[in-house]
Amino acid sequence: MLVFDHVSKRYPNGFEALSDVSFSVEAGEFVFLTGPSGAGKSTLLKLINGVERSSRGQVHVAGQNISRLPTRKIPDLRQGIGVVFQNHQLLFDRRVYDNVALPLLIAGMKPADISRRVRAALSKVGLTGREGDWPETLSGGEQQRVGIARAVVHRPPMLLADEPTGNLDPDLSREIMSLFLQFSQLGVTVLIATHDLELVEAMPARRLQLQGGRVIEP
Amino acid sequence: MKESAAGSGAQITPINRSDRFKAWSRHHRQLFRSTLTTLLAQPGALLITWLVIGIALSLPILLSLALRALSEADTRQVIQPAMSVYLSVPSDSETAQGLLQRLRASKAVRDVRLITEQAALLEFSSLSGFGDVLNAFSENPLPGIIEVVPRERDGAGIKLLAQQIQGQAGVDQVNFDAAWLERLSAILGILARVLYALGGLFSGAVILIIGNTLRLTIENQRAEIEITKLFGGSDSFVQRPFIYRGFWLGFGGALLAWMIVQLSLLYLSGPVERLAQSYRSNFALEALGFGESMALFALGALLGILGSWVSVWRYLKQIQPK
Repeated sequence: MLVFDHVSKRYPNGFEALSDVSFSVEAGEFVFLTGPSGAGKSTLLKLINGVERSSRGQVHVAGQNISRLPTRKIPDLRQGIGVVFQNHQLLFDRRVYDNVALPLLIAGMKPADISRRVRAALSKVGLTGREGDWPETLSGGEQQRVGIARAVVHRPPMLLADEPTGNLDPDLSREIMSLFLQFSQLGVTVLIATHDLELVEAMPARRLQLQGGRVIEP
Repeated sequence: MKESAAGSGAQITPINRSDRFKAWSRHHRQLFRSTLTTLLAQPGALLITWLVIGIALSLPILLSLALRALSEADTRQVIQPAMSVYLSVPSDSETAQGLLQRLRASKAVRDVRLITEQAALLEFSSLSGFGDVLNAFSENPLPGIIEVVPRERDGAGIKLLAQQIQGQAGVDQVNFDAAWLERLSAILGILARVLYALGGLFSGAVILIIGNTLRLTIENQRAEIEITKLFGGSDSFVQRPFIYRGFWLGFGGALLAWMIVQLSLLYLSGPVERLAQSYRSNFALEALGFGESMALFALGALLGILGSWVSVWRYLKQIQPK
């Protein structure tokens, strides 16, 4: 599903965020990406959804070579990847419903189908009936769950999360992680970048450790 | 879920061409309404933008209407008095009657009117109050006059006709203000060019106004644009709402320009009519016709779309997901 083949990423200012990274992830696998901040976790995720391009080496997503993907094909790639952010990145001038519906609008789905899918996604994250709420009236954990609903509403084969529990207390973090685990059990490839080692060790999942731009797989 | 993940790869249920088209047209239909609703949610700001665009569009239109009225054939007589042909022979003589017949038949002449010596005397005494002076003459000192309205409209052509009439028997003198007419033609020509330049400048201003308004909107929606791009929204998907906003701003501005023009004409029509009547003319500032109104709305919409293109291309390209 995901293959990194001797990938390096050097930014224009000369900083090498990733050096000769190679690994592969099977479809439906649940993988933690760990390492101190600045180790290259975010850069690695950005290479997968085409926000950045590798300087050397190749990134393959579902058999497609992302490093050679023309810019106009990148939207199609991204439509197949759900993304969860540390600060959830909800749009505060839109209701919960419209936040979650965004990927479906982009995919061009019919309004009736959108409504059905949004409700289903919200019930999956335990927010049934909260469609009409404004994001600012929700708690931090609820906001993050809306972000997760948005990331999975279009049923992408792959889910990327960058520090999804960064701002949450341990109980909420475990709750969020178990949600991710459920998605992987449904066949979604899940890749989570986090520095919360306690949480990682409590979960039965594979771990990719990044250190100074290199992968150390324990 | 597992099958699609292993199979076609990072794609949601693959979309075929006709579904894609349906989704595309659905997005357009939806934006057509939703962008207007969003704009109307801030009526104050919207009204001001519309007014600015409306005023910018209405100025060149008002000018062009005035210019058109001035250059129209029938209205020329307001400022173009007929040529006066002073007769050296009595107006009831055969020579004078022959001249009258020839002028009436001439293709270069549109209208001919004979003012006999008696009529001239009557008119002169009633108009100028010189009746007593004229009474001092034992006989009528005024000659007969033929008033000739030429078909030709430009100064040179009228001059030529005057020279031809001057050569005829029984003609004492031909009076008309050739220089005035030539100057008028030249002034109208200059005004037309000024109008084109103004039209171009004001259209450019409208494009910039709309572009700038949208630039602020784009800045305000930066987060939304970034998220949309991260979830696979293409550039055209992201810019589409702004194109529709531009369309509404331009179209609404044109609508206001139309109202401003029609109200101004209404406001001006009374005095203009009185002025025209004093010249015995049917000169009138004509309102915008149906076709012209439609053209104005189309122009506004087009300028709006152009304005949004300009700003969307400049600013949207800079917004990349971080």
